[in-house]
Amino acid sequence: MQPMAGIRRSSTHSDPKTRVSRRSPSLRARLEEAEATIRAIEEGVVDAVVVNGANGPQVYTLEGADHPYRVLVEQMPEGTITLDSNGLILYSNRQFAALVGTAEDSITGSDFGRFMAPRDANLFAGLADTAALRGQSAGELDLRGIRGGLIPVRLSLTQIDLSGMKTLCIVATDLREQRRSEAILKDEQLSRLILEQAGEAIVVIDTEGRVMRCSESARKLARAPILSNQLDAAFAFGGPDGPVNAERILSAMRLGQPMRGVEATIRNAAAGTSAVLLSASPLFDPFNALLGCVITLTDITDRKASEEALARQTEELSHANSDLRQFAHSASHDLREPLRQLAVFSELLQQKYHNKLDPEAVQLIAYTVDAAHRMEGLLKGLLDYTQATGSAAAPVERSDPNEVMRKTMATFGTRIAESGARIECELLPLLDVHEIHLTQLFQNLIGNALKYRGEDPPVIHVAGRRRDDMWQISVTDNGIGVPPHYREQIFHLFKRLHGGGKYSGSGIGLAICQKIVQRYGGRIWVESAGKQGARFVFTLPGASL
Amino acid sequence: MNPASPDAIFVLLVEDSPADVFLVSHAMEQEGLDFTLELADDGDAAIAIIDRVDTEASHPAPDLLLLDINVPRRTGNDVLERVRRSPRCMGIPVVMISSSDSPVDRQRAFDLGATEYFRKPSTLDEFLKLGHVVRRVAMARVHERHPHQQPTSTPERV
Repeated sequence: MQPMAGIRRSSTHSDPKTRVSRRSPSLRARLEEAEATIRAIEEGVVDAVVVNGANGPQVYTLEGADHPYRVLVEQMPEGTITLDSNGLILYSNRQFAALVGTAEDSITGSDFGRFMAPRDANLFAGLADTAALRGQSAGELDLRGIRGGLIPVRLSLTQIDLSGMKTLCIVATDLREQRRSEAILKDEQLSRLILEQAGEAIVVIDTEGRVMRCSESARKLARAPILSNQLDAAFAFGGPDGPVNAERILSAMRLGQPMRGVEATIRNAAAGTSAVLLSASPLFDPFNALLGCVITLTDITDRKASEEALARQTEELSHANSDLRQFAHSASHDLREPLRQLAVFSELLQQKYHNKLDPEAVQLIAYTVDAAHRMEGLLKGLLDYTQATGSAAAPVERSDPNEVMRKTMATFGTRIAESGARIECELLPLLDVHEIHLTQLFQNLIGNALKYRGEDPPVIHVAGRRRDDMWQISVTDNGIGVPPHYREQIFHLFKRLHGGGKYSGSGIGLAICQKIVQRYGGRIWVESAGKQGARFVFTLPGASL
Repeated sequence: MNPASPDAIFVLLVEDSPADVFLVSHAMEQEGLDFTLELADDGDAAIAIIDRVDTEASHPAPDLLLLDINVPRRTGNDVLERVRRSPRCMGIPVVMISSSDSPVDRQRAFDLGATEYFRKPSTLDEFLKLGHVVRRVAMARVHERHPHQQPTSTPERV
């Protein structure tokens, strides 16, 4: 059998190499011819081969074998491409072009890389390496469509060696539909889980008022089997204005009025009457026809009960508080009476019998008088304290702190003159505080600044600054200051830093100041640098800037 | 101690605390006043006295009322109201005495017709000033009664 000639379809391929021994030139020529013919057939550049046989020359058409494969490749549902070793697309069928969203002829000759999702480029390189090594590989990854969208695919790679040219045949199976089904499956699973675990009772009804789906908690809240039953059979809702039934809910949905947190009651055998918040939102099909609605029920029985308990407690507490204030008020009043007499009669005793008493007796009586006066001061302070914490019922008025400062300075007129004190007061803003409270604040703070003075005559500076939504008033002095570790304590009731000797006081003044400031949502604190004086600062609500 | 002289000031004192009765007397003595004291130790007793003054012409009307607000049964304010409705006593000066310095209590007393408001102080010196207050209001009253006489004062120091 001697091949006569190869009929060339194209002449792009180079001449075959010589591979036969040089000792036999004629044999080598025939071998070379045969090899060239086979390669041409393999490469598809030859459409037919003429063979000289016993019955004369015979033509074998290769087209008969090639055509059905081409048709198959074009018709198969998968996308198919062949790449050369540089990743250039040599061939693409229509399905692949459709997959990436473009025409076939714009694909051939372009770089396959443009259809790779960047994050999967390495994955693809790995698949190609495996195919080069083992002939075949497969994997799932994302392609990038011509418009940028990701297309999940399964790629099967086969490496073919076409006369020394490595060619990669790739079949791409579109996984989008499969992924969608998986997602739907996941959605279904998700909604089932939600319905199982939701604390709120969720009920989905159709337009007939029949329960299509429901959560576990809805099942527990219902008085009868619920699924596929009528909503009205499962629940009897009582609302503030008549029963809330399926018909009422659905007509609200038809009117496009979702229900939000309608308070209703449910009666069932197990739990008795429960209080719920009922909400309902309509469900529509893609053509905007009502399919039914989703109803959620939040059980607020416990919440309502604790709200009521809280209200009760608050009222009791407020009564107790008021009683306590009343008690403190009358106690400090009534206790002052005998004290006053104790003080006065001790003095009278001292005065009347002055000549008959020895000096020690006179001194002892003096101690008695002093003790009675101190206790009286304490009781007066307690009285002021109960007034500072008194009921907040009175509406807050706006007061002028500048006026209060003037009055305070008049009150301390003698002490200011005696001590040679200088008081500087910046213009202060109007404050939303009862004037009596502002007076107590300034009298205590200015009084302290005058009392806890150092060697030098007192210099007191009063200033106001806006701080967030409050006014911050400061009273700065040059007195003996407050040691750092006492800065909290000095605001506690009856807390004093000094013995009765040098600085007298009841230990109530700053506690009163704190109570007053807190009552208006403010804060009071002291800043001091050892013996550099003290700066008392408090915040109060007032006119905005 | 207080010989009833025709010129002595007739004081009706409404006070339940014996200690304060002593102090009030002491203050008036220290002031050197000549006075007669009638004592009522609760509101009812005080009103009974006013009733008698109104019904028995022979019962002398007091020149001055010293009225503790906080007394048992009827309060000092009740007594004050009764006094201001009494035909014979409506014009007499009334000094309210109280341990309260609340402006509300003070205002209430003046609204009901009090002449003076004296807060019981806790020092002896302050308390003795009550004597001076009594002299001032009593003088005006005695002037009304005897336009040509001064109230008698006996210099009597302890």
